Amino acid sequence: MNLQIIHTNIIWANIIVSIKSFYREKTVVFFRIAFPVILILVFGTIFMERDNEIFELSIQDLDQTTSSEQLAAAIGLSKRFKITQVSPDADAKQYARDNKLNLIVIIPKNFEMSLIEKMADDNFETPVTLTKIYDPGSFGVTTKIGVLDMVLAKINQEMSGKPPLIASEPVSILKKKYRFIEFFVPGIIAMAVMTASLFGTVNVNAELLQKGVIRKLSTTPITRIDWILSNVLYQFILAVVSTAVMLLVSYAVFSVSLEINVWLVVFVALDVFAFVGLGMILTRVAREAESASAAADALMFPMMFLSGTFFPVEMMPEFLQTFARILPLYYVNEGLRAAMVAVDHAAALKSALIIGAFASVVFVFGIMITNLGGETT
Amino acid sequence: MTKNSEYAIEVNNLTKRYKDLSAVDNISFTVERGEVFALLGPNGAGKTTTVEILNTIRKPTSGKVILLGMDVTEKKYDIIPRIGVLPQGFSSFDRITVKETLQYYSRLFCRKKPDIQGLMKLVNLKDKAGVQYKNLSGGLKQRLGIAVALVNDPEIVFLDEPTTGLDPLARRAMWEVLWGLKKKGKTLFLTTHYMEEAEFLADTVAIVKKGKIFAMGSPGDLIESNADYLVVMLKSVDETVFDIVKKMGFSPGYDSHGDITVRLTHADDVRRILNAVRDGGASFTGLNVRKPNLEAVFLKLTDDTFLENFVGVEEAQ
Ligand SMILES: Nc1ncnc2c1ncn2[C@@H]1O[C@H](COP(=O)(O)OP(=O)(O)OP(=O)(O)O)[C@@H](O)[C@H]1O
Ligand SMILES: [Mg+2]
Repeated sequence: MNLQIIHTNIIWANIIVSIKSFYREKTVVFFRIAFPVILILVFGTIFMERDNEIFELSIQDLDQTTSSEQLAAAIGLSKRFKITQVSPDADAKQYARDNKLNLIVIIPKNFEMSLIEKMADDNFETPVTLTKIYDPGSFGVTTKIGVLDMVLAKINQEMSGKPPLIASEPVSILKKKYRFIEFFVPGIIAMAVMTASLFGTVNVNAELLQKGVIRKLSTTPITRIDWILSNVLYQFILAVVSTAVMLLVSYAVFSVSLEINVWLVVFVALDVFAFVGLGMILTRVAREAESASAAADALMFPMMFLSGTFFPVEMMPEFLQTFARILPLYYVNEGLRAAMVAVDHAAALKSALIIGAFASVVFVFGIMITNLGGETT
Repeated sequence: MTKNSEYAIEVNNLTKRYKDLSAVDNISFTVERGEVFALLGPNGAGKTTTVEILNTIRKPTSGKVILLGMDVTEKKYDIIPRIGVLPQGFSSFDRITVKETLQYYSRLFCRKKPDIQGLMKLVNLKDKAGVQYKNLSGGLKQRLGIAVALVNDPEIVFLDEPTTGLDPLARRAMWEVLWGLKKKGKTLFLTTHYMEEAEFLADTVAIVKKGKIFAMGSPGDLIESNADYLVVMLKSVDETVFDIVKKMGFSPGYDSHGDITVRLTHADDVRRILNAVRDGGASFTGLNVRKPNLEAVFLKLTDDTFLENFVGVEEAQ
């Protein structure tokens, strides 16, 4: 009887062969390592600008007086806007279209006169109106108008000389002030490890199965537990390298402040375990290489978009949120963010237990279903 | 060890069924240690199915297979270290070199000091040690497969179509390798479509079709017992020769070179034909008379129309 079902030397031999096969395939290396980094760079750049954004603001001063100049200067002093002047002769709407501007503020003719009249009469019932020419199709113009209104409110209040009745102060639920990129990086790590584990396993195994290499292996002392563990460990090594590269780039380029602790390793490992196991099952169930890949796609895309990698799950309708909560990737995302952003150990543990349970079930089922012999009956 | 262990392989009433199809249909045979046994049969005869049951890849539907005294379905992991397998259409990791592939398989068998150099020399791959598998030609891949089958110094080597796809020269080279293994006392179990191969290498040949063994014995015996005729080949540009032979009551045919072939049961008939051709004023430029080879026996035994009148053979085995 062969009681020894795990052979470390055999697993080691498999890992060596896998790693050699990997780095000799340069395009695979590129996609595996560089692709998540590119995602981080692209999205990181977008979020970076949103975080401490200074808006471009065009002002058309039809009044051309000291008061109108002071108003423009006051808006500029708020440090939220970079002011560009639009010639008073231009047609503002046409100008906005031609120059792809999403907002032009028009200071009306007789602005100064009206102000002086109102102050003299002490009549504040009807204010002087500024016109905002805006493009409703433009992403982010609402935010911009919101910020502008806030700035104007402040100017109003200062001009009328009354202190504010109500003030507010934001207090974050997190210990430190975090930027969106810091929520995004853990999500990309979870997703990159998932896709690589799932596709790496499905592609390699389906190919080896189809070419008959697995059949040959079944005439050697290797057991199926050896084989699955080899797959898991190989993917784990790649996942560690790829995660390290992602984090290094995030630190170097965006100086993110993310907590690195043992949870990171735990979640990367569970992510690998769960999705390598799933990959083994898909390879077996689908049998044909193409259908295995298609099945992996079908599982992966909903997971990528619905489990909170790119945008918070809370943005989705209720029923999709419920759906997200049955996706294993959701818990990797939650867990990694709890560990790296909020540093909430209890929450991390809860996610780890859920994804750990899923990984164990998949792994055991993977071992049961994997048959190195390639026998159909 | 049981007394059975004097045999390398013992197969009793082995059957493998896929739904309604009996891929292997109640076959029995034994292979002695050091013997070279060849399964010869057309496509779909059940050769691969048989070998893969013998080398533990597939499970039999019924029947018993004993390898080196152990039941294959019960002692898989005891048998595996002692056998070597070249599967049909051997394939390996694309990006791994010849040398690394042999190292890898040696590690799987936990060989402490594998003789990688010796193996590469044996199959003449020494100058390809650093070439990746995907860059090897078909013949070289096959040779690597044989070397891989030998990494654990097995007692029985299973080779499923070892020379399919090789050029004639490479095939001879492969025969030399297999002959060398035979000399070392290894038991070889091979399948092949090539009669010369079975004739050249095998001590025992079993001819299979539709999962059944139709004839079994040494190549010489098989030819002897089935070769109750002679084949005469006449090279001629004269079309009347064909008619003359036909008029004598024989059924001549043309072979792939356009030469006339006639199957005769009596040696006397050769002289009668030659006389008739000469008397008819026709001429020929070449003549060849031969006993049938294993190929002819194979064609005869596996020819469906022939089998209908050949029920006796199966029972005789
Ligand atoms: N896994 C399977 N499922 C269903 N039918 C199968 C399976 N494997 C083999 N068969 C059938 O069993 C029969 C024997 O196949 P096998 O591969 O053993 O033939 P073979 O003698 O090796 O042929 P070849 O010379 O072409 O290699 C064929 O009819 C084949 O279609
Ligand atoms: Mg075959």
